[in-house]
Amino acid sequence: MSERDPKKARMARRTFVTTIARIGGLAVLGGGASALMAAKALEHRAGPSRTVWQIDPWKCTQCGKCATECVLDVSAAKCVHDMVLCGFCGPCFGFFRPDHVSLDTGGENQLCPVGAIHRKFVEPPYFEYTIDEKKCVGCALCVKGCTQFGNGSLYLQVRHDRCLNCNECSIAAACPANAFIKRPVENPYVIKHNGRDRI
Amino acid sequence: MTHLGRMYRWAALVTLLGMSACLWGQQRFPPPEFESPYKLPATMNPLPIPSWQEGLDVGLLFAALSLSAWIALKARSRRWMTALSIASLAYFGFYRAGCICPIGATQNVTMGIFDSSYYLPATVVAFFVLPLAFCLVFGRVFCAGVCWLGAMQDLVLIKPVRLPMWLQRALGTLPFVYLGAAALLAAMNAEYLICRYDPFVPFFRRAGSFAMFAAGGLALVLSTFVGRPYCRFLCPYGAMLSILARVSWKGVTITPDECIVCGLCRDACPFGAIEPANTPKEAGE
Repeated sequence: MSERDPKKARMARRTFVTTIARIGGLAVLGGGASALMAAKALEHRAGPSRTVWQIDPWKCTQCGKCATECVLDVSAAKCVHDMVLCGFCGPCFGFFRPDHVSLDTGGENQLCPVGAIHRKFVEPPYFEYTIDEKKCVGCALCVKGCTQFGNGSLYLQVRHDRCLNCNECSIAAACPANAFIKRPVENPYVIKHNGRDRI
Repeated sequence: MTHLGRMYRWAALVTLLGMSACLWGQQRFPPPEFESPYKLPATMNPLPIPSWQEGLDVGLLFAALSLSAWIALKARSRRWMTALSIASLAYFGFYRAGCICPIGATQNVTMGIFDSSYYLPATVVAFFVLPLAFCLVFGRVFCAGVCWLGAMQDLVLIKPVRLPMWLQRALGTLPFVYLGAAALLAAMNAEYLICRYDPFVPFFRRAGSFAMFAAGGLALVLSTFVGRPYCRFLCPYGAMLSILARVSWKGVTITPDECIVCGLCRDACPFGAIEPANTPKEAGE
């Protein structure tokens, strides 16, 4: 009796069409996702895996935008110190302001605006410089000093315990030197003493 | 030659030498050989967020979607739904800083299709597909209790006003335009529109420019009297969900036999989702 009801029959047709659309939609979603993943797996069989942002220290011009452009309040780009390259200079160009009063750790002599570089005496005439990463804001003032006049052992790196790995890195978009690169997630850092060809 | 000229020549020579040292990558100051037993401290390189975290995210998304479907269709409890959206807002929004999200994943999937060199993580695909699949079966349960952008707007909604239907319909076309523009720009690898103009992400990150916070604040103020303005009139993922929801298997419905066409639900719905045409007036008569 209910099959004869024209209203019910119209509903049934409607149900049929939506069921087909639903099953078709699920098939397209499932099939499309698997096809896409399979295609990606084929393309990246031997190639790079997931990538994260990093800074090429040889391209970096120490413009200071890393400190201001990151979406995080304290930038994810910070200074690292490659100790293998360091000359342990007493008058370190990355530590002392060009107009320093004297070569000691007085605040008026330090280049770093947040006092994130610790200077420790090792043996005459050498001093060890270490970065206090919690304090570092990524302004690159020390990097500029060290790269222009020293060995370039201080350089900026995106720190991946903090980086959100945005789709579009806002520092990369603002970087005047195009120094932002993508590194595989297993090996996200540039070790400067390994040389440029190892990047 | 004057003294000054000689000085300039020396300066030029030193500069040139310095520049060539730069080019050759020479060390100006050779690393010292220490006499004291000094060991070089190792450079710390903190590792990226581990991949199990993203696996956990996908698992939690699946669990939240299932729970949302159960609350909407079986428990039918607004209170539990609010509790779920607060939990989701706390984890996906504030703890994971609003990223990874299905809305933004639309761009990654588009880019994955058009750019063969782009590596597309499986977790991103899962984040894109799961809410859509759930929508085909249970309706928009993602929007109801999981979406942290929706939760932000729901929690500040104090006194909803009913927008006229013509305005709702006109503004309701915006998400499709936005989706088209975002997909096009992502396919051309030009811009991540959805991420850039996400109004709530500065709150999730607790960082951002003044313009971002101003836009987010405006969106929040608007949300106090317009129910979920971002979801209804801008969200590009919502555009896709609204199409799929039309053919969903289950969904919250008004039982025609029990409806007395009082119109209270229509007046109470803050989102204008219960349209006059949907009230079973004709069916009852």
